[in-house]
Formats: sequence, C-alpha cells, structure tokens
Amino acid sequence: MLRLLPALLPWWLAGPGLGLCVAALYGLANRRLGVSGAWLAAVVAPVEGWRGERWRVEFLAALISGALAAGLLGSATRLTGYPVLSAVLPAGVLLPLLAGGGLALGYGARWAEGCTSGHGLSGCAAGSPDSLTATATFFAVAVGVTFAVHALSGGAL
Amino acid sequence: MNQGARATTVAVGIAFGFLVTGSGFGNYTTIHQALLLRSWYLFAVFGSAVAVAAAGLALLRGAGVTRYGGPLRLPHAPARRRHVFGAVIFGAGFGLTGTCPGGAVAVVATGGLGGLLVLAGLAAGMWLRGAAGRPALDQHLEAAADQREQPPLTCTYGSGAVGSGTERT
Repeated sequence: MLRLLPALLPWWLAGPGLGLCVAALYGLANRRLGVSGAWLAAVVAPVEGWRGERWRVEFLAALISGALAAGLLGSATRLTGYPVLSAVLPAGVLLPLLAGGGLALGYGARWAEGCTSGHGLSGCAAGSPDSLTATATFFAVAVGVTFAVHALSGGAL
Repeated sequence: MNQGARATTVAVGIAFGFLVTGSGFGNYTTIHQALLLRSWYLFAVFGSAVAVAAAGLALLRGAGVTRYGGPLRLPHAPARRRHVFGAVIFGAGFGLTGTCPGGAVAVVATGGLGGLLVLAGLAAGMWLRGAAGRPALDQHLEAAADQREQPPLTCTYGSGAVGSGTERT
C-alpha cells in the first residue's frame, strides 16, 4: 500500500528472521511458536467450552498486528478477492475451494497437532520425529495437490 | 505468567506476522510456484528459518534454561499415525489454498478478502476434528498403534509440553 517494503523481502532476511522468532520464544519464554495452536486457543476453545492458554491468544493478536503493519507498508498490498485465484476461477468454484481448503487446514492441523509453524519450524528445528514426519508429509502432499490443480486447470494455475 | 514472557510473546508475534507477510506468504503465486517446484524462494525462506532456529535451539540446549520460563523444554515426540493422517489432510488444504494458518493472516493483511473464508474454514475444521474425531477414530487408531504407550488424554493440543507425556528437555 505505502510501497515502503518490496513485494518480497529477500529470503536471507525473512528466513533467518523467522528462525530467530522461534529461538527467541523458546529461549526467553520457553514457549513453542505455533500458529494453529493460537487459533485453536483463541477461536475454537471458547466454542468448545475450555480455556485456551492466554499467551496463545496474545501471540495471535500480536501476529495479526504485525501482519497488518507489513500489509500497510508493503508494495504488493491491494484489495482483491483472493490473490490470483479470483482472477482465474469463477466464484462458484473459488468460494467452495477456499472454504473447503480452509476446512482441510484446520482439520488436518488439529489432527496432526501442528502446522507449518508448530511442526514445520519449531518442531523441525528441535529435531522432533513427529514434526519431521508431519512436515515431510504435508509438503509432499501439497506438491502433489498443486500439480493436480495445475493439470486440472489446463495450466492456467 | 510473568511480564518478561508476556512481552517476549507479543514482540515475537509482531515480528513473526510481519515477516510472514513480508515474505509473500499472503500471495498465492509465491506459494503456488514453489509447490510447482518452479521457484526456490519459499524453500530458501523455510530452510534458512529452520536452520537458524535449529542453531539457536542447539545453543539453548547447552544452557538448559530460559530467561523467563524456567528450564528449557523442547519437543521430542515419536511420530504417530495422527501426524501422517493429519498432515495429509493439511497438505491438501495447503496445496488448494496456497496458504496455511499463519499465511492466511498474511493473505487478509495484504488485501485478500477471501482469506477470511479460509480462516473461517480453518476454525470450522478444527472444531470438526474436535467433535467428530477424538473419541472414536483417534483413540481406536492410537490404541492399536501404541498399546504400550499411555494414551493421549489431553484435549488441548499444541502445547505439547502440557500433558502429552512425551516431552523431554
């Protein structure tokens, strides 16, 4: 929006920065960085009638603030339905795909006990076998599904 | 919890959200091209993040103690069927939407209103897993898979450190 940030931060800045986030949260607060756990505690726990840990809720609120700040400063920010997809897919396909894809993300993350951050970053960095297994699995499946999407869309995606 | 831990959590949350958004996790093309194995950017970000985090955790392991949170407890849990089954479903959602639970925040933050639909689906999916899965399917599979282990009884996942019984320092 304000075009103060490039569309993409260089990988050697973003990657190590994200890694430092994981290490800092462990080293200072003894907490495992994980975004799906934060969503679970903040949004799902109240519905299910149990009390999510407060730090997870605070972490999520902070994450949203940081994301909004980057969005405001970023050069790639503009109002869309869904970047790229809404230009290619009709609404009758796009909306079920987004809702269904989100459903799979939530269902799978809770079943696997973590997502790209909790398993992929935190757990893999700690060398935990469950995280290494889950991360290898979801990346492999995501690549397979993406190739299927590419083929089914006739190369449009 | 003490104020130091709280301030750390907030600061790390802001930095994490900023970097996830700044590194293009909110853009379908960035993720999609990586998952088509045509762009190495995402893997460079992800790989260097894990490498730096692993180096940091290795140093912390040596110290054994955290600044505000007592003795360091890092996850070390065996891989179970749920980690594979759950990751298969998660990976399908990852490939379809080109985003993940943190990335969806970046989608919305960079103007992609459809990201709200992904987030609504995310919450609904978590709830579904809690409602449908736990008592029947999960425990049956787990019991068959690891009879000698104590069954996981917690309904809060994600902390890992709390109640899973598999954590060690």
